[in-house]
Amino acid sequence: MTPLESYFPLAVVFALALVLGLALVGLAALLGPRRPSRVKEAPFECGSDPVGDARGRFGVKFYVIALLFVVFDIEAVFIYPWAVQVRELGWNGFATMAVFAATLVAGLAYVWKKGALDWE
Amino acid sequence: MTISANWYLLLAAVLFCFGLVGVVSRRNILVVFMCVELMLNAANLTFLTFARQQGTMNGHAIAFFVIAVAAAEAAVGLAIVIAVFRTRGTLWMDEVSTLKN
Amino acid sequence: MPTVSSQDVLALAPVAILALGGIALLLSEVFLTSGKRGYQAFLTVLFAATAGLTAFGATPGKVFAGQATADAFSAFVTITVSFGLALAALVSASWLDARGAERGEFYALSLFAASGMSLLGMASDLLVAFVAIEIMSLSTYALAAWMRRGKKPAEAAFKYFILGAFSSALLLYGTSLVFGATGSTLLSDVARGPLQAGGSALLSAGLVLVAAGLAFKVAAVPFHVWTPDVYEGAPTPVTAFMAAGVKTAAFAILARTVLAAYAATGGAADSAFPRVLAVLALLTMLVGNLFAVPQRSVKRMLAYSSIAHAGYLLLGVLAAGLPAVRERALSGVLFYLASYTASAIGAFAVVGALESNGQPGDEPADAWDLERLAGLSRRRPLLAFAMTVFMLSLAGVPPTAGFVAKLLVFQAAVGAQYLALAVVGVLTSALGAYYYLRVVVYMYMRPAAEGEPAGVTSPVLSVALAVAVAAVVVLGIGSEPVASLARAAAAVVR
Repeated sequence: MTPLESYFPLAVVFALALVLGLALVGLAALLGPRRPSRVKEAPFECGSDPVGDARGRFGVKFYVIALLFVVFDIEAVFIYPWAVQVRELGWNGFATMAVFAATLVAGLAYVWKKGALDWE
Repeated sequence: MTISANWYLLLAAVLFCFGLVGVVSRRNILVVFMCVELMLNAANLTFLTFARQQGTMNGHAIAFFVIAVAAAEAAVGLAIVIAVFRTRGTLWMDEVSTLKN
Repeated sequence: MPTVSSQDVLALAPVAILALGGIALLLSEVFLTSGKRGYQAFLTVLFAATAGLTAFGATPGKVFAGQATADAFSAFVTITVSFGLALAALVSASWLDARGAERGEFYALSLFAASGMSLLGMASDLLVAFVAIEIMSLSTYALAAWMRRGKKPAEAAFKYFILGAFSSALLLYGTSLVFGATGSTLLSDVARGPLQAGGSALLSAGLVLVAAGLAFKVAAVPFHVWTPDVYEGAPTPVTAFMAAGVKTAAFAILARTVLAAYAATGGAADSAFPRVLAVLALLTMLVGNLFAVPQRSVKRMLAYSSIAHAGYLLLGVLAAGLPAVRERALSGVLFYLASYTASAIGAFAVVGALESNGQPGDEPADAWDLERLAGLSRRRPLLAFAMTVFMLSLAGVPPTAGFVAKLLVFQAAVGAQYLALAVVGVLTSALGAYYYLRVVVYMYMRPAAEGEPAGVTSPVLSVALAVAVAAVVVLGIGSEPVASLARAAAAVVR
């Protein structure tokens, strides 16, 4: 069995889901009664009355946290392959990674002391 | 049935062209920014495809570097976008043009 | 198993010193809260000097299995960059202090940028070049946005960022195609040509994209559109550092890449590569000089002039394609970069000293108008003298550094049979003399406008200007020591 053939059952499930979904929506549209009213056409917001525009602005604090997260998070792509091979890479690899991590720690110390992590 | 490497290369080339056209033609700063990221990922896909084709690990390692650089670039870029938005109140390129001949 | 050896660490010492200096300044900003920040510029100068000296004494060798090379060429680039960094740090100290905007982060970013530039001088692998370019560029984007409350710096940083990121993406995609064709990103492997017979089209496409990405960084026409806006909008000391440092580093890697590309596409004589480069050089010389003429703003004029200088430098890189004149051409390019570093940083420093410091980042459009220089010889005779020296050097008038630099590059171009381009170079230089000397005319022959402020004075700025003037004159009169260094540096590049 080639790799693609092993996905055949999955394709069947997808096809069934598609057919079933289309059939149910189509039947409902075909058979169901239609009595639109103002309340029914209001945008649904978890049962409560809709408040304001959906495109509200986020506080800039969120962006700062997000930026910091992205930068620090991505460094895992270097740490992960090293962690997998840690015994083979030995002390030389450990020293290299220690320098890398120390750089990150310096960055963290700066960010922390600068107050970028304080929410208030 | 396996998919030939050329299709991946073609996909990457198409992605790269989307990004290229987007940078040149789109006028919203964030969309332009995303198009640049698309171009970087097209390069990544090309590296990985060639690495698989040649059976070496180099291309895979390169992809890691590109991802890390792209993240740093995104951080600096978004910070600059925020600075532009604060001074101008807009993210449309045409309205950000005080510097002209 | 590839390991990091002590030799690798030693060879990378200049880069490491600059990067560690950046981290140290970053931490000093948050942990030493004395309020006084004068020490930061001096620390930066200290780190730059240490890095330069380390590069001078470094033993040549390959780093990380040939991905980077420590040789006389990289040492020359590192020394030039460190010199530029030290000058720019002193200029920045006075400029930022006058605006109450001096922070450790500024110097940290400058040091990080310089470490990227230094690494770029060593890079002999396209991936290392990409990473180094990004270290340099990301720092300079942030520096351009330093006065982020102002409209102009934010806009300049944004334009610089978008086009810079775009050019990096071109470079990277080109690298991926080169990787596909040659199975490696090492320039020494790339120079051997494609792995399979059919790979040459892929390789050429990749190399063209790489060259286009680098052409953005050196501001070659038609990839120059960002330059005037970014140079005008960025804080003036940052512009000085960008003009000198980024140009030096980008030309270093461009030279190495172009030489590999020549080799890969079958020698200089019968490939399209030199022809494309010749067109770029021609356009860059013409457009840079022609657009500089009508500029009233001295800062914008200097931006266009930096494009023009990129054209002369491209001419040198083009001539280096011919093995017979390679050494002469490359040494000319290196000497030119050193001379331009001193002259451009000095010129921008004078511009920065004269601009209004009321609302940083929101200077009126005429903040750098020629009129502000009128009568400077009477108000500030020494400043006017310094500016005159820089203008003469940029114009290429003897006995300044700029003259020797142009002479070396044009001689190499003639030696490589690019006669027409050399003539265009000389003619456009003559045109350049017009707009450079116009500045001198304004300073010495026009009466000062009423109530024109005298501008900033500070001891550090005086030191920086004195050093820059001395460098320009020494490089012009006694050019031999530096020229021989440049020749030694050029000799090691294959």
